[in-house]
Amino acid sequence: MVSMVGKKKSHTLTRLGSMLLITALMASGCGSSPVAKTEQKPIKVGIVDTYTGGAAVYAKDSLDGFKLAVKEIEAKGGPKIEFVTRDDEFKPDKSTSWAKELVMREKVDFLAGTTNSAGSLAVSQYAKESKVPFIVWGGMSDRITGEAGHRYVFSTLPNTAIIGKAGAVQLSKTSYQKVWIAGSDYEYGHSLINNLWSNLTTLKPDVKKMGESWWRVGETDFTPYINAIRSAKPDVLVVGTGGADMVAFMKAVKATGLTQEIPVWAHTSYDPATLRPLGDQAPEGVMGTNPYLFNYPDTAENKAFVEAFKKEYNREPAAFALYGYMGGKFLGEAITKAGSTDKEKIIDAMEGLTIDTPVGKATLRKEDHQVAIPMSYGVVAKVNGVFTGKDLHTLNSDEIMPSVDQILKSRSK
Amino acid sequence: MDFATLASQFFIGLSRGMIFFIVSAGLTLIFGVLRITNFAHGALYMLGAFIAYSVSTLVGQGPYGFWLALLVAPVTVMLVSLVIERGLLRFIYNRDHLIQMLLTYSLVLIAGDLVKILWGTEFKSMDIPAVLRGSFNLWGASLPWYNAFLLIVGPVVALGLWLFLSKTHLGKICRATATDREMVDVLGINSTRVFAMVFALGGWLAGLGGALIAPTTSISMGMDASIVIYAFLIVVIGGLGNVWGALISSIIMGVGEALGILFIPGIAIIIPYIIAGVLLIVRPTGLLKSAW
Repeated sequence: MVSMVGKKKSHTLTRLGSMLLITALMASGCGSSPVAKTEQKPIKVGIVDTYTGGAAVYAKDSLDGFKLAVKEIEAKGGPKIEFVTRDDEFKPDKSTSWAKELVMREKVDFLAGTTNSAGSLAVSQYAKESKVPFIVWGGMSDRITGEAGHRYVFSTLPNTAIIGKAGAVQLSKTSYQKVWIAGSDYEYGHSLINNLWSNLTTLKPDVKKMGESWWRVGETDFTPYINAIRSAKPDVLVVGTGGADMVAFMKAVKATGLTQEIPVWAHTSYDPATLRPLGDQAPEGVMGTNPYLFNYPDTAENKAFVEAFKKEYNREPAAFALYGYMGGKFLGEAITKAGSTDKEKIIDAMEGLTIDTPVGKATLRKEDHQVAIPMSYGVVAKVNGVFTGKDLHTLNSDEIMPSVDQILKSRSK
Repeated sequence: MDFATLASQFFIGLSRGMIFFIVSAGLTLIFGVLRITNFAHGALYMLGAFIAYSVSTLVGQGPYGFWLALLVAPVTVMLVSLVIERGLLRFIYNRDHLIQMLLTYSLVLIAGDLVKILWGTEFKSMDIPAVLRGSFNLWGASLPWYNAFLLIVGPVVALGLWLFLSKTHLGKICRATATDREMVDVLGINSTRVFAMVFALGGWLAGLGGALIAPTTSISMGMDASIVIYAFLIVVIGGLGNVWGALISSIIMGVGEALGILFIPGIAIIIPYIIAGVLLIVRPTGLLKSAW
């Protein structure tokens, strides 16, 4: 009964979505662009992502990264990739209805996107049913390629299992024992913190959880949370929060002077996406992990990528630009490798595929379709008058990937 | 748990309550006098925050940016409210509540798209003015200067509202309209002008709330939805249309939530609803006399 009701509802949504789409198309006066006749039909990617609201900054970066990859592939005479985008407004139900619309009406060959983790999981479920492969470059939940993984879903960004493990490795190198955990009360926050905590207790059995606080997504005032945590006097505060909330949280850390008393760890603390909006009000000393910075790793490959991205969009690429870029690159190389536009053959080619990326060699792991890239860790600091990451170290991908056994065990449950 | 922590948490909660009060006072005033459920109140608050961002950015996020924004943003939102009232709302005063709700709800959607067009989809951030940065020592605990600043602004606004409502002719008409609308009509008072002014005042308060919260957080679409839930809870708890009821319930809500975060952090997210639920069971008609 329940599933019937759900189906009926999503059907209505699809219809509503398509009606809206038709209206939008009519209003903007653009029909579908004419397809160039080549010997091989272009692969069409349908991107569902959050282009409005607090998380829009990520979707914009990943889309620009993807567009750059598509352009580079074509310039090198590789396969032609087309794409269309849809805005899910960070709502998982919209992610699915747009995904269905893209597959049924736009006849896309691949799906991609979804910054919202719950949206990624929902679209992934649909990808499994419809056998349309889905490249995730936005949703960070470990369940996407973990327990809910399947043949038709790939992830080109480090998920919360990897980030959590990286954070645990970083924290295990410190002497902190009493830990307070906190975060946004949704999939990303809980998933990141759970992974970090379970890895940290394995790496450093003497750590003790003092307490936890969870705030709602879109919280505007973090001072009461910080004040309460400060009074508990933990050795370290570990935070899982993202997007606009991360910036608001960092502002409150600065205003309350929390880091002078209690060290803070938060993923992406020294990412430009976090630091730029903070201006000169970034809290120094906040520890964190980061999969990518435009100035780290300091390699020729990364410099070339940054150069190309800057030329195209007049700004430095952030981590999500890399994820979208890798999504495009993996797809392009897989099509070339498969020598076919057959979806099943492309999937086979993608499994275990290793490509060169700005951060070095990256592999889409055969067993779980999860990308393995290195990650940096460090602290927020002012260097030459600019806030950035300092004391950066690299964790190799094999140090921070969850084991294949672990993944397969969680899937068999 | 030491006294200093409790005290600082109390003051932080109180400053949170001040923002709630400034926003919900406008909502309850409109409720009481115009008898309109203004869903768009949160949108006006969001607009206030975005305008504050633009103003402070225009003057280069400099030392005067915030203060200028604090003046300009509420007044701009007030003018927008005036346009909304004269252009739309005045035609539906005698219509169904459902029509009124639909209209104000449509304004929420329009405001969302307007923000998208004018400011783009990315969240914005503006600086706390230099003099209000950092925090000071309060018996061993710490309190950010900005929260202390809110603790001054809140009572100033409350005092201003009290002077307006009890000392001015217009304020008296407002109160009279909230208490007995027909009697005011019978006395031959031009109520539509009063309505326009009250709606504009409500808009000014929403804009002020938005401008005040802007430097402490990230300014993004969706911030309207989160405040409007609090504002409605507060207005209902305080007694519909009663400004002082809104003041009391804002303080209860702000302090209650802050203390909840201190003592039961695991369920902090549902504390406002627990407070609202308990208060409504104890006093179903609101803390103070409702205007309806």
